[in-house]
Amino acid sequence: MSSVVVNAMLALAVGVIVVRRRSVAIVLVGAQSLALSIGALQLSSGRSGGFLLAALVLLSKAVVLPALLFALMRRTREARLVVAASGPLVRLAGAGALALFAVSVVPPLGLGNTHIEHAAVALVLIGIAIVVARRPAFFQLLGLIVAENGLSLLAVSVPGGLSYVIELGALFDLALVVTVAAAFAQRIHSELGTGDTELLRALRD
Amino acid sequence: MTSFVPILAAVVPALPLAGAVLPLLARTPNGADRVGLAVAFPTAAAALWLAVIALARGGQPALHGHWYLLDGASGVLLAVTGVVGLCSALVSPAYLRAHRHGSSSARDSGSWYYSALLLFWAALLAVPIAGNLAVVWLLVEATTAASALLVAFSGVREALEAGWKYLVLTTLGLSVALLGIVVLAVNQARAGRHGLSALDWHALQDAAHALPASATLVAFVLLLAGLATKIGWAPVHNWLPDAHSEAPAPISAMLSAALLPSVLLVAWRVKETLEPSVGAATTRVVFIGFGVASILVAVPFLWRALPWKRLLAYSSLEHMGVIALGIGFGTPLAIAGVVLHIAGHALAKSLGFYAALPLLRHDPAAASRAPGGVANASPSTAAAMGVSLVALAGLPPSPLFLSELLILLGGIAAGCALVSAIAVIGLALGFLGLLHALIEGVVGEGTPRPRGLPRAPERSIVALTAILGTALLALAATGLLLPGSSFVESLARGVL
Repeated sequence: MSSVVVNAMLALAVGVIVVRRRSVAIVLVGAQSLALSIGALQLSSGRSGGFLLAALVLLSKAVVLPALLFALMRRTREARLVVAASGPLVRLAGAGALALFAVSVVPPLGLGNTHIEHAAVALVLIGIAIVVARRPAFFQLLGLIVAENGLSLLAVSVPGGLSYVIELGALFDLALVVTVAAAFAQRIHSELGTGDTELLRALRD
Repeated sequence: MTSFVPILAAVVPALPLAGAVLPLLARTPNGADRVGLAVAFPTAAAALWLAVIALARGGQPALHGHWYLLDGASGVLLAVTGVVGLCSALVSPAYLRAHRHGSSSARDSGSWYYSALLLFWAALLAVPIAGNLAVVWLLVEATTAASALLVAFSGVREALEAGWKYLVLTTLGLSVALLGIVVLAVNQARAGRHGLSALDWHALQDAAHALPASATLVAFVLLLAGLATKIGWAPVHNWLPDAHSEAPAPISAMLSAALLPSVLLVAWRVKETLEPSVGAATTRVVFIGFGVASILVAVPFLWRALPWKRLLAYSSLEHMGVIALGIGFGTPLAIAGVVLHIAGHALAKSLGFYAALPLLRHDPAAASRAPGGVANASPSTAAAMGVSLVALAGLPPSPLFLSELLILLGGIAAGCALVSAIAVIGLALGFLGLLHALIEGVVGEGTPRPRGLPRAPERSIVALTAILGTALLALAATGLLLPGSSFVESLARGVL
C-alpha cells in the first residue's frame, strides 16, 4: 500500500480528534475508509478473489457507514455544540504524542513494513484517544470506527492477505456494534436532549 | 457417543440462534414468555448433553474437528452456561411482569428482550467450543452487541450510562485484542500459513515455538489486555459494576456467571497456545498480576454498604481474580481449584442475582442503597441472599472454600508462596466484608413486608434456592474428588 494512502489515513484520524462539527468528522471518517479501500484494491491484483471481495466490502463500508452516521446526526440534532473538555490544540498535541509513542515503543510486528505497522498501531491509539477525549457519544462512535480502520489497515497488508472470512466477519461485527451504538446514541439524546456523555455520571461508588 | 459431537456442537448454539426469531412473532407478552421458555429447555438440554460428553472423557485428549474444539474446559463452561441460561429464562417472566408495571416504555418490549437474551446465549454457548481464535473473537464481540442492549433494557438514565460504557469500553478492549490476532496472522502468513485455519487453536500451538518471540509477545500482551477488559479484571474493570447493577437481574446472572468465565477461558487458551514462544514465566506473571490486582481492588468495595447487585458485581471482580491466580499458578492443584471455582461461582452468583427480583419487588429503594434486614420482610428472599453470600464468601461447606484452598495450595506448590500469602489476606478481608453484608443486609433490622404483594416470585426463589443450594453442596462433594483426577491432570497439561 502506498505511503500516501497510509499518511492520508493518519491525517484524517487526527482531523477527527480536532474538528468540532459532527458533519465534518463524518466526512473525515468516510474519507479514511475510502482511502483504506482504495489501498486494499491496489493490493488485490495477484491475490485471491476472496481478498478482492473483502476490498469491495471495505469500499461499501466507506459509503454505507457515513450514510448511517448522517442519518443518525439528523435524528439527534444538537441545539448547540457540546463544549469540549480540552481545546483542539491540546487534543492535537495528545494525538501527536500517541502517534510518536506508537513509533517509538512498538517493536516490529512481522509485516516487514514498519511504516504500515506504526500507522496501524497509531490509528488504533488515536481511535481510543477520540473515545477518551471527545464527550459527545457521536464522536466516541467515530473513535471506534477509526480504531477499526487501523486494524483493517494492518489486516489488508498481511502478505497474501488475511482470510477474507475474518475480514468480512470483523466488518459484520463492526456493522453490528455501530448499529447498536447508534441506537444507544439516539436513546441518550432523547433522554438527555444532547449527546454529551459527560452528563452520564450517575453511577459512582 | 463421540460420533454425535460435530452435529451436537452445531446444534447447541444454533438452537437459541434460530429461536431468537420466534419471540418476535409472539402477539402477547405471555406468548413471548412461553416461546422464550420453549427455546430455553431444548437449548439447555443440548448444552448439558454436550457438556456430559466432554466431561465423561476424563483425561482423554480433546475432540476437535474442522471448526470445533471440545475439551474438559469446554464441558465445564457449557454446563455452567446451559444451567445459568435456563435459570435466567425461567425467572425472566417475573422480571418482565414487574418491569411492565413500572415502565410504560417497556410494555411491549418482552419480545425484544427474549430475542436479545437468546442471541446472547447462543454466542456464549459457541465461545467454549469454537476451535479458532478469530472465530472466538467474533463470537465475543457478538456477545457485546447483544448484551449491551439488554444492560440498558430498563431504559432509565443509569441503565443507558451502564450500557453505553459497557459497549464502548469492551469494544475498544476487543479492538486491542483483534490487533493481537492480526499480529499473529501476519507472522503465520510470513511462515507460509495462510487463511482462517492458520488461527486454529491447534495450528497456533503447533507453530508457536517457531514464531518470532518479540512479535508473539506483543500479540500475547495485546490479546490479554483486550480480553481483560471484557473479563473485567482490574484495572480495566470500570464497566463491570455498572453493567451488572443496572442490567435486568436474569441478565446480570448471565454476565457474571457465564460471560466472564467464558472470556476467561479464551484468555486461558491464548496462554496455552502462545506459551511455547512467550515463555511460561511471562504468561504466569501476566495472569498472577491481573489476579492479585483484581482481588485487591475488589476488597475495599466488599466492605462498603453498596446496593445488593453492585456488591455482587464487585464480588465478581474478586472471583475473576481468584480464577486468574489459579490459571497463573498452573499446577494440578490450582487447576482443580479453577474448575471448581468457575462452577461454584456461577451457581452462587446467579442465585444472588435472582434473589434481587423479589428483593427489589418488596423494597424498590434497594436498587440504590444497601438492603437492610431482608429476613424481616421476606424470609425466602433472605434465605436466597444468605445462601449466595455464604457460598461466595467461601464459608464451609461452600465449594468456593475448597476451590480457594486448592488454588492457594497450588500457588505454594508452584513456588509462589508470597503471592499466595497476599491472596490469603485479600480473600480473608473479602470474606469479612461479605459476612458484614450478610449480617447487616440480611439478618439485621429492616422494614416489614408490604401487604398485598403476590407470593409467586417468592415461590420461584424458594425453588431456586433449594435447587442451586443442593447443587452447591453436591459440587463441594464432587470437588473433593478433583485433585489427582485424570480430568484435572489433563487440563493442567493444557486446555486444548
